[in-house]
Amino acid sequence: MNPIVIESLNKRYGQFEAVRDVSFEVPAGSICGLLGPNGSGKSTTFKCALGLTRADAGRIFLDGAAPRPQMFERLAFVPERSALYERFNGAEHLEMARRAYRSYDPARASAMLDIFSLDPKKRVSRLSKGQRTALALVVAFALRPAIMVLDEPASGLDPIHQRAVLDLLIEAAAMGTAIVLSSHQIGQVERAADRVVILKRGRVVLDGELDELRGREKLIEAVFAAPFDPERFTADARIRRVERRGATLRLYVHADPDGVMRDVGALAPASLTLLDQNLEELFFSAVEEPRPATLEAR
Amino acid sequence: MFGSEDVPGNFNVDPRSGVPLYTQLIDQVKRSIAVGALAPGERLPTVKQLAVDLTVNPNTVARAYRDLERDGVIETSPGRGSFVRGSDVAQTRRTVADVAAVALEAAIRDARSIGVERPALEALVERLIERWYSVGERR
Repeated sequence: MNPIVIESLNKRYGQFEAVRDVSFEVPAGSICGLLGPNGSGKSTTFKCALGLTRADAGRIFLDGAAPRPQMFERLAFVPERSALYERFNGAEHLEMARRAYRSYDPARASAMLDIFSLDPKKRVSRLSKGQRTALALVVAFALRPAIMVLDEPASGLDPIHQRAVLDLLIEAAAMGTAIVLSSHQIGQVERAADRVVILKRGRVVLDGELDELRGREKLIEAVFAAPFDPERFTADARIRRVERRGATLRLYVHADPDGVMRDVGALAPASLTLLDQNLEELFFSAVEEPRPATLEAR
Repeated sequence: MFGSEDVPGNFNVDPRSGVPLYTQLIDQVKRSIAVGALAPGERLPTVKQLAVDLTVNPNTVARAYRDLERDGVIETSPGRGSFVRGSDVAQTRRTVADVAAVALEAAIRDARSIGVERPALEALVERLIERWYSVGERR
């Protein structure tokens, strides 16, 4: 069984359905990016996955078992708002980690303090937002955990330290750690992640291996000289979304792009282009509402 | 010769492109072999080393190496690493043809997309072959 398994997670806060039927898995050595607009259910998913909030329905397996206290020995969680103690300094936080975790690696901890240019004698209350994020990451990576759950791990960091976080994630993955992280920095996820889960209003709208998505998610753009009927494509299971602006037809394809190209080509368009979709474009086409008809008609 | 001493070849991937990263890597390894930047028997970086160097996921590198091994381009021996397969004229020719096919297909797709008709494209290709191959022969 994969180190992180989430099955049909459901969670309501009163009338608000925070997550609905969210399922995904993260194998060992994999980095999974959890993406979505604010309020789409990323943090709720993390809290339920770690047992910090009780899910209404669904099953969670971490390292092959339901979340339980012993699990935290093998897991590092970096929440969005750091859970550091204001009155303690960095060295004291690392000392607590050393006592609580058998896997704590002091050499790695001091190397990481250097990487993030952190003064271990400085109290948390005197650290900037970025320095707090960095300290939480130093503690997390020093534990050499089997599972890492990171909510916005780059928030407040400068570009150099953001890059350092990516390098550390890749090293950890190469050692077999299963990592799930949320981030608004699509560029970071695009580099380091090998799989993504995109949430919209608490539901999974797109997920899978990133390279597999790169291979099959395409945008087909056709310009027609004669009037054409886009209706025939709206019910096509291979097509996720149809847009029409004047004489231009845009098809967001998520299966069999070559077959769709042939079908559109048979309608004799004046031009026909197959465009690759990077993660940012995939994200927007998965999360965006279709444009109102009034903006499209012209 | 180019690139660092530790990493033969000069690999790079563009995560912003919509092309799968493992496909990009496979293409580059084949290119490096085709132009001789990677010699037969030469050792490739480990999965971890290349993942860290390129800042890409180790699974992506592992996938590229698996496919290259399946295609007979490299061989991996447990504990020793991955190596470019010995010089086999037919294999090298196939590798070169694979690299060229990727580039040509993109060009033909582009031409098709802007409505170039088949006879016109064929004439154009003929002319371009004439130009580039005669330049080579004059040297």
